[in-house]
Amino acid sequence: MSQALDDRSESIRMIRDSAGAVAPRGGDTKRVRALRFTDPGFDKGVFAQMGELGWIGLAVAEDAGGAGLGMSEAVALTEEIGAGLAPEPLIPAMLSARLLAAVEDKALLAPLLEGGKVLLTAWQEKADTLAVHGTSDAPRVFIPMAAGADAFLLPVREGNRIALHALDAAGADVVLERTMDGGNVGTLRADLSRASRVADDVGAVLEQALDEAALATAGHMLGLMEKAFEMTLAYLKTRQQFGRIIGTFQSLQHRAADLKIHIALTRAAVESAAAVLDSGATGAVRQAAVSKAKARAAESGLLVLRQCIQLHGGIGYTDEYDVGMYLRRGMVIANQYGSATLHRRRFMALAPEDVE
Amino acid sequence: MVSIAPKETQDLNQMEDEAFRLHVRQWIEANYPADLRNPPKRLHWDENKPWYFKLAEKGWLCPGWPRQFGGLGLAPAKQIIFTEEVERYGCARTNDHGIVMVGPLLINHGTPEQQEYFLPKILSGEHIWCQGYSEPNAGSDLAALRTEAVLDGDHYIVNGQKIWTTLAMDANWCFLLVRTDKNAKKQEGISFLLVDMATPGITVKPIINLEYHDEFCEVFFDNVRVPAKNLVGTPNRGWDMAKALLSFERIYLGSPRLSAYAFTRLRQLAERMGVWEDAAFQETYGRLRLDLEDLKSLYGVFVDKLRRGETLGADVSMLKVFQTELFQRITDTMLEIAGENAGLLEPMEGNRNLNPTGLYIQARPATIYGGSNEIQRNILSKNVLGLPG
Repeated sequence: MSQALDDRSESIRMIRDSAGAVAPRGGDTKRVRALRFTDPGFDKGVFAQMGELGWIGLAVAEDAGGAGLGMSEAVALTEEIGAGLAPEPLIPAMLSARLLAAVEDKALLAPLLEGGKVLLTAWQEKADTLAVHGTSDAPRVFIPMAAGADAFLLPVREGNRIALHALDAAGADVVLERTMDGGNVGTLRADLSRASRVADDVGAVLEQALDEAALATAGHMLGLMEKAFEMTLAYLKTRQQFGRIIGTFQSLQHRAADLKIHIALTRAAVESAAAVLDSGATGAVRQAAVSKAKARAAESGLLVLRQCIQLHGGIGYTDEYDVGMYLRRGMVIANQYGSATLHRRRFMALAPEDVE
Repeated sequence: MVSIAPKETQDLNQMEDEAFRLHVRQWIEANYPADLRNPPKRLHWDENKPWYFKLAEKGWLCPGWPRQFGGLGLAPAKQIIFTEEVERYGCARTNDHGIVMVGPLLINHGTPEQQEYFLPKILSGEHIWCQGYSEPNAGSDLAALRTEAVLDGDHYIVNGQKIWTTLAMDANWCFLLVRTDKNAKKQEGISFLLVDMATPGITVKPIINLEYHDEFCEVFFDNVRVPAKNLVGTPNRGWDMAKALLSFERIYLGSPRLSAYAFTRLRQLAERMGVWEDAAFQETYGRLRLDLEDLKSLYGVFVDKLRRGETLGADVSMLKVFQTELFQRITDTMLEIAGENAGLLEPMEGNRNLNPTGLYIQARPATIYGGSNEIQRNILSKNVLGLPG
């Protein structure tokens, strides 16, 4: 038990270390800033590097070409990605890899795992949902970083099953919208006659992959919170007004203490949910754990990021100062894979009341 | 070397965790007085002593004390299970200052004579202790305490006043923080004294609190003669010992049990008041539920540290703050949905499970005792976040 635990913390530590190479926590934001409002909004070379490091297939089994690790490692990784503000669509790619690893036809999997091809799953038909309707002619919305897609994966309902189709991005009808952090989301109007069929039923695995993506996104938010709060603490310790370091003011100290509590709650929720998933939980237990973590991350995340702006004062409201980039990224991911409200409702509908 | 034979002859650490849990659970269910489950108020010694003696007789009174000193000698992981079972069944807190404070103090810092004299009397229930810490002008700023002890031959002469002394009227001994050096820095002139409450010059006055309950007392010391051999550890080093003892209190105050208890009562009340299905109520209830679940996760993080034998840092204050404020938010919600029942003195319909006003009042001091939440936030900002002065 404790040996397994030690191995686990070792693999988590290694993942965190390797993340530093791509998204350094303490690094400057020059790369991230330069990519804002460009197309595709991220660096395909860095995306390929993420593939080489085994990140895209992190939770994919080793015999399918993945790293065979679990959600505990995945949330550690996405936390580092958040802290470093990397704009590459790692979580959507991990979701696609999860799908492709579960289907018989593995032709598309290898290029995605290597990071050579950006495959994004166009599963969503409306805002704030985790439900996969698979309506064949419905536009697919809010596809993160769609400007960089090489191909889309399309879940399409056929009776009780969800078939999977692949569609080349070249020539596809994609309308892009800019996001607050300088990235983009796309709306795809797919022409199924141009698509090729990949699998007959991915319903169950897609449901699980969406849960994992929601939890990974909670980890991403945790990274944003930690880093923005670290910057804020440093500011409180140096900025002077009225002849004093502002961090000596008790009202600011107490607010900082409250934000620290929110971060600690979020970490506890995210890491305990990852442990639940890694223990093989399925169904309602898995969904409740994920919803608990994502509800906390979305709500406490935006609270902490907003307060980090406030504690900086005017400088925090400038584009030039980095702390605002964390809030903007937070706004983009807070409701991805379900808002706090959606997840609270789902938790309440699922979680057994453990009352006497 | 002091050696006190433990009553429990079995080394319970040898049991598997789940078997141990069941063993404890079954014994509690068979022995705890049913009418005292989840008591609405802190019980007095008269009400509590049957349970105290049951535990003493079984040898389970002091789970954390080493077996050499008559305790159960449980490993941290087993102690946590033991506590969880006690809390699960809603067992009343005993008059436990001897168990959780004086015992560990003497085991770590007492002379063999002090250990041999006092520890068996805690284990038997002969000595019931109270804690003489706070004073009228030394509450949050405890180190400002002024009750003084002046050496006179082989006795200290104690003069001063303590306040918020929990259940002092039930106690026959008191462990006291006193000032023994008025010229030193305030933290460096404090000592620990053990005082027999029957000593002439001690007056105990109960304080009625907002629950109309006499849980606290004022204790007055007027030229009270205390044998010098009753000083614990090194003179003037009492503050460090007192601080070390508080680490128990900080995790105890962060336990989700109070919030969890109030939360089950919130649901019962909502059903009784006919608002259970109400969308606005469900929204609030869902938020509270998730806060409670996340509190449990965060508590688990600290418990795991204890389980691994680590000592807890100042960050455990996060638990105290969040737990106590959640407890209050739950009881705030109870009051809000209770309608005019929010003004009743007694539980609704004579049903102890429908007691919004009792819980609302009980939740008030949670953010004050054990270091007010404002002090906890000071601790967090200075010792965890490293914010200046």
